[in-house]
Amino acid sequence: MISSRLTLILLTLALTVCGIVAVFTTDPLRENGLLGGSFYGRQIMWAGISWAIFFLVSRLDYRWCLRLEWPLYVFMVLSLLAVLFFGSGDEMGARRWLFSRSVQPSEFAKVAYIIFAAAHLVQNIQHADEWGLYIKFCILTALPGVLIFIEPDIGTSMVFVALWLAAMVLASFNWKKILLSISFLAALLPVSWPFLADYQKNRLLSFIDPYRDPLGSGYNVIQSQIAIGAGGFWGNGFLSGSQSQLRFLPARYTDFIFAAWCEQLGFLGGAFIVLLFILLVGVVMKIAREAPDLEGKFLASLVATMLVFQIMINIGMNIGVMPVTGIPLPFLSYGGSSLLITMVAVGLVVNITRRRREDD
Amino acid sequence: MWNEQPKVKTNQRIESMVWIFVGMLLFLLIRLWFLSVLETSLYQQKSELNRMRVTPLLAPRGNIYDRYGEILAQDVPRYAVSFLPGDVSIQESREKLESVLGRHIDDRPQERLSGEVLLANSITLEEVSRIEEANRKLPGIMVETQPTRVYPAGVSASHVIGYIGRISEMELMNLAKNGYAGEDMVGKSGVELYYEDILRGEKGFRRVEVDALGKIVRLLDYHPPRFHNSLALTLDREFQEFCYSLLEGKSGVIIAGDPRNGEILAMASRPAFNPNALVKGMTQEEWQRMVDDSLHSFTSRSVQALYPPGSVFKPVLALAALEEGIVTADTRTFCPGFFDYGNQRFYCWRRSGHGSMNLVDAIAHSCNVTFYNLGLKLGPEGISRWAQTFRMGESPGIDLTDVNSALLPDPRWKRQHIGEPWYPGDTINYSIGQGFVLLTPFDVYRMISIIAARGRVYQPQLMSQVLDNRGEVVRNRNPVVEAQLPVADSSWNVIIEGMKRAVRQGTGTACRGLPVEIAAKTGTAQNPHGEEHSWFGGFFPADVPSVAFVVMIEHGGGGSGIAAQTARTMIEWYVEHRGGAS
Repeated sequence: MISSRLTLILLTLALTVCGIVAVFTTDPLRENGLLGGSFYGRQIMWAGISWAIFFLVSRLDYRWCLRLEWPLYVFMVLSLLAVLFFGSGDEMGARRWLFSRSVQPSEFAKVAYIIFAAAHLVQNIQHADEWGLYIKFCILTALPGVLIFIEPDIGTSMVFVALWLAAMVLASFNWKKILLSISFLAALLPVSWPFLADYQKNRLLSFIDPYRDPLGSGYNVIQSQIAIGAGGFWGNGFLSGSQSQLRFLPARYTDFIFAAWCEQLGFLGGAFIVLLFILLVGVVMKIAREAPDLEGKFLASLVATMLVFQIMINIGMNIGVMPVTGIPLPFLSYGGSSLLITMVAVGLVVNITRRRREDD
Repeated sequence: MWNEQPKVKTNQRIESMVWIFVGMLLFLLIRLWFLSVLETSLYQQKSELNRMRVTPLLAPRGNIYDRYGEILAQDVPRYAVSFLPGDVSIQESREKLESVLGRHIDDRPQERLSGEVLLANSITLEEVSRIEEANRKLPGIMVETQPTRVYPAGVSASHVIGYIGRISEMELMNLAKNGYAGEDMVGKSGVELYYEDILRGEKGFRRVEVDALGKIVRLLDYHPPRFHNSLALTLDREFQEFCYSLLEGKSGVIIAGDPRNGEILAMASRPAFNPNALVKGMTQEEWQRMVDDSLHSFTSRSVQALYPPGSVFKPVLALAALEEGIVTADTRTFCPGFFDYGNQRFYCWRRSGHGSMNLVDAIAHSCNVTFYNLGLKLGPEGISRWAQTFRMGESPGIDLTDVNSALLPDPRWKRQHIGEPWYPGDTINYSIGQGFVLLTPFDVYRMISIIAARGRVYQPQLMSQVLDNRGEVVRNRNPVVEAQLPVADSSWNVIIEGMKRAVRQGTGTACRGLPVEIAAKTGTAQNPHGEEHSWFGGFFPADVPSVAFVVMIEHGGGGSGIAAQTARTMIEWYVEHRGGAS
């Protein structure tokens, strides 16, 4: 029987390799070669860096990380505030980056929040039934959550909401509190509509009916579904497929990389990736269940939550069951911060397996 | 250590979470199955249809004409080469294109939203025909025309006409709802900006069918980009260019217009910038040099720069004093060459004094002492109120953006901005257009043209007609009378007689002896930054004015000699080329 840790590392390796291959097949600068500034070349470099940090993180004691609860929290909020005031925006006017589009604090915030939530709730687990802890936790979540929402980065704020709900479930808050939170969110939806930018409203309306603006906001959704559909069961073959190779598909190496992948490798290729993700999430949850302490359980389950929701939101928008919100697919989408943060999160989980062995 | 209770509870919850997670991911798998297995034939069909490529084509803008139909701004086509990636790589097709053109292409390939790649930005007409001949050797390559703005009057009308440029992020955010997109050109200043809504054109598109390799099979349809409206201005291009040339080697302004309807004939401001260079695009360095320019070439001195008006301001006081009953045409004032107030002595510009004179002579000889007296009786509020009657300090209503308005000081203003009380000395300075008062040359022009029209206030205008794209007039802009000032005819007679006499025998004799009679007022404005500014504002023919003008030369020196000399050359040109008596 292979240990959970080895399984986890092998799955991570498989997904990183798939990611590099996926970026290679959709790279608009492929002709520039490995070192000529091509996207896949840069992705390989980032993979190297991420793996180094992955091994480093997996050797740090996660309980030591948990002691950084408050510094991490404060740093997270400050960096999100910095984005609000000094951030650089994209074409749509969303401000998500610092230092001229090199650092994306909302990516870092996800892991910081996971560590904070785990530490904070485990310390106060005796008060899980009290309203005081619930209210305090909600406020501490709302601060970074709202900052991310108004960047605006709706995809990441959806992940935040998922992490918040999962953390409360794990801490055994009673169902009354969790139902209250969900209904509060549901009530917020119509209230937040006027605050959305026009392009966001368009994206949401296009989710309901992509053909209302087929060359505008509905374009991505239509093109990505065509790509996946045209791929069929077997796919059009490696490096072929008119959607991704002829550049019909926008953001084909970032947000819509899954569609490009499916056009080339078909249902088989897409299902392979989804299965790898199911195994990954399964093994992380197994590690959570077997973790020696509550901290480990919380950390691992929250990492799994983050992965599942990012996968769900990204693949969901690729196949047209979720609105377009611009969130990367873990491991596959081109992008350094996303890969690095995912690897740090998985590294923390590997670390939990090490503790278990030492305790035995 | 914790007791085991929370761990058990948490583990129960972890188990239920696993089921939710796996359920969510399996749902993705099922939907994937539907898309790529059950509905695949539908989407394969769509993918086939997707062989259609849509390329947006940049919109041309309407032309800008002068009052005689001369072109002030127009679009000329520029040719660009774009490429549809298919079985030929970008690099390969670029090399092929270079061999057909026989030259190196410097432009970096630019990918567009539609998937096309822009290979070359600007090629000559001759190169276009070479590409068309070699069409077969160049799969996926298309030639397209892109409109480029040209300003034939160039630097001489740059502040009035303005220029266009690629839409900025800020503008895009404000304008996106009007259908603007990232590559569009928009008016950045002057008429181009003010009449953006009229001048902007409509984008077109081209749809082509490509085969699975990306080669163009046929043109499906072509919706040409077009513009809807052109503009005719009241400007006289030749006159404008002449006025600009008169300012050679100086910093200054010449504004001329028709006092009978508010039309602006010329509005030259120097130094200026070259709009053609701006449109062509410039390097960061060139741009920086222009922006940092210590001469402020981008500032339209006519409507944006504020100057002390000096003595050209005096007609405002003369009219105010007559209308308020402070003086009559016959009231005489004695000028010994100075004026004592308290223990301060204020001098007339002529130290030897003007002797005893009536108001007409006081205007003609620009006697400071007379106006000190009038100013003190009117008070700062009275002066400002009458300046406002002449439309100073209000939005001037001209069809330009970023227009500055005059600073008309009074005690309240001084307390707020300088924190000191108002002294009688301030009133004395104010009454000869010195001290705190600041006007744009356009403010002075408006005052002069209101005098010329004997109190009829026309809205100043640059635009005269809107034309459609065939050149037919769609809309005529008629003169707009804003007001008729309730001023007695006798008062106008005094002012105009004073200005006539200024040219015949007073301070404006530089314009004596021209074929038409001129009425004008000189001004020499002291300025703390260097030599005095030289003003000359007037109109002609003096009795039936058809042109009102103002000339302002920065640091032109005393006696307003340079401004009056410049005005003389301008009037001579105008009378010779446009006739003067009409």
